[in-house]
Amino acid sequence: MLGQVVISGLLAGALYAMVALGLGLIFGVMRVLNVSHGPLLMLGAYTTFWLFQWLGLNPYLSILVTMPLLFGVGMLLQRLFVRRVVDAPELSSLLLTFGLSIALVNLAQLAFTADLRSVEYLTGSFVVGPFAFSKSRVIACAFAIVITAGAFLFLKATRLGKAIRAVSQSREVAQVCGINVARIHMLAFGIGSALAAAGGTLVAVMVAIQPEMGQVYTFKSFLVIVLGGAGNYPGALLGGLLLGLIEQVSSLFLTTQVNEAVAYVLLVLVLLVRPTGLLKGRAS
Amino acid sequence: MKRLLLPALGLVLLALAFYPITGTGYGVRFMLQLFMWIALAQSWNLISGLTGYVSFGHIAFFGMGAYTAGILIVKLDWPWLLASLAGGAGAVVLALVIGWPCLRLKGPYFAIAMLGLNEVLRVAVSYFEGLTGGGSGLSLPALYASVPIYYAMGLVALAVTALTWIIVTSRFGLRLMTIREDEVAAEAMGIDTFRYKLYAFLLSAVGPGIVGGLAARDQSYIEPISVFPLIMTITMIVMVLFGGKGTIWGPVLGAVLLFTLQEMIWARFIYLHQLLFGAIIVTVVLLMPRGILGVLQQRYNLPRTI
Repeated sequence: MLGQVVISGLLAGALYAMVALGLGLIFGVMRVLNVSHGPLLMLGAYTTFWLFQWLGLNPYLSILVTMPLLFGVGMLLQRLFVRRVVDAPELSSLLLTFGLSIALVNLAQLAFTADLRSVEYLTGSFVVGPFAFSKSRVIACAFAIVITAGAFLFLKATRLGKAIRAVSQSREVAQVCGINVARIHMLAFGIGSALAAAGGTLVAVMVAIQPEMGQVYTFKSFLVIVLGGAGNYPGALLGGLLLGLIEQVSSLFLTTQVNEAVAYVLLVLVLLVRPTGLLKGRAS
Repeated sequence: MKRLLLPALGLVLLALAFYPITGTGYGVRFMLQLFMWIALAQSWNLISGLTGYVSFGHIAFFGMGAYTAGILIVKLDWPWLLASLAGGAGAVVLALVIGWPCLRLKGPYFAIAMLGLNEVLRVAVSYFEGLTGGGSGLSLPALYASVPIYYAMGLVALAVTALTWIIVTSRFGLRLMTIREDEVAAEAMGIDTFRYKLYAFLLSAVGPGIVGGLAARDQSYIEPISVFPLIMTITMIVMVLFGGKGTIWGPVLGAVLLFTLQEMIWARFIYLHQLLFGAIIVTVVLLMPRGILGVLQQRYNLPRTI
């Protein structure tokens, strides 16, 4: 029983980590908490759904479309709106991205209606000894690991990734070193959105798709980056896995309804006890 | 100008006092809700407009007041006015419990903590079914009291606005605004910042608590989703921002304009409601972050205590 729960938790956690890494990247680079992160994930899920519905495209292959597409959407949103509140107090960026968030959800309702949709592609479970894991979750975890690893490799090993890390450490110094900060901001928002889109694609195969499906991922991503330490990228990984584990373990003892609150209680507790996160992030 | 302002204000209040005699049922209910929004916006302004600490879950106090009053009315048969006042007291207790630890958090962390607490409270209310009726809500005995509730709401709106005026023109208000501008400097000047932030936070919870109780009585039915919605927190924030945060009359102006707009125009476009509201938020944040009064203050060199 416990083994099953732990592994399920890690499977879910890998996905959380990937989605939250996107949010964390945006927060680390711009100090903007992107409330519209979840709705971007929702757009990714819908893209996968329609590609599957119209063209019969394999939902896992559609990640090759959703990630670049949302990368573009993210860059556009940053260029048009978010860019203007980067240096403003947090109230501005929270409100602005909240406004974008409800507008995106409303647009999705108008365009796709509020009907529940699902991508019926992969059902059934892998059975390994005493354990059984739904196939879609195992594959989602594998994809999440590969994509997250790719993102880390990009941050660690490429010049552009180095520039992104430099800007998140100190914007002024990065600028003095000749890094085009405005461009890095746009890029970071694009990559963050692409990671959300990847999450959307993977989630699309597992749960019902509807315009408001994203919000819960916004909150969970908040929690993950707070857990791991805001602005600390490996921290997002640790935070995601931890959240997945805790949610699964607590679901053994709590009803579904109360289990929903576990993430929030945890969020508040972590903020109070250790606002810098488990791995050291920046407190303010 | 100044000599005209006070009589004009008196005239408006007088007109509002006699309005229920001539007003239609819809008109009275419209005004009652407007008063509610003024009280909510003004209360958010007290903590966030003055100290700069963004409360992203301020509706929690409204919900706390609604449930405190609702339970007292249903289970203990309290008169609604007394129950609503108890709702205000309940909100203050909640603010103390929340504020004591959370006001030490800075910047976006305080905002996220408030957001999380609101959700925790919502789930907690759903969980304690015996007391709160859980997810299926709490029905209050039927009572048609729009006019008395109109006066009660109006008085709360007036009281919170008067309180803001007293605070903004006092040394206490000056200390709060110092915290907003530079907390470290405020500390260095000998201001016990934590204590003053907590006072402001407690005061900002009273209004929403009482108003929550009155709204519960007015609607005769409350459920977790209807009294803890994030969108209501956002609405009060946008009202304050639109009118001018940190000012006395800004929240009133913002609430009047935005609420009227909402009732007159958006109500006709149900399907576009969220989209329009999103557009308004983005517009206000990008184009007029100082609000209407903030812009006027700057352009015409008006006093800070407007």
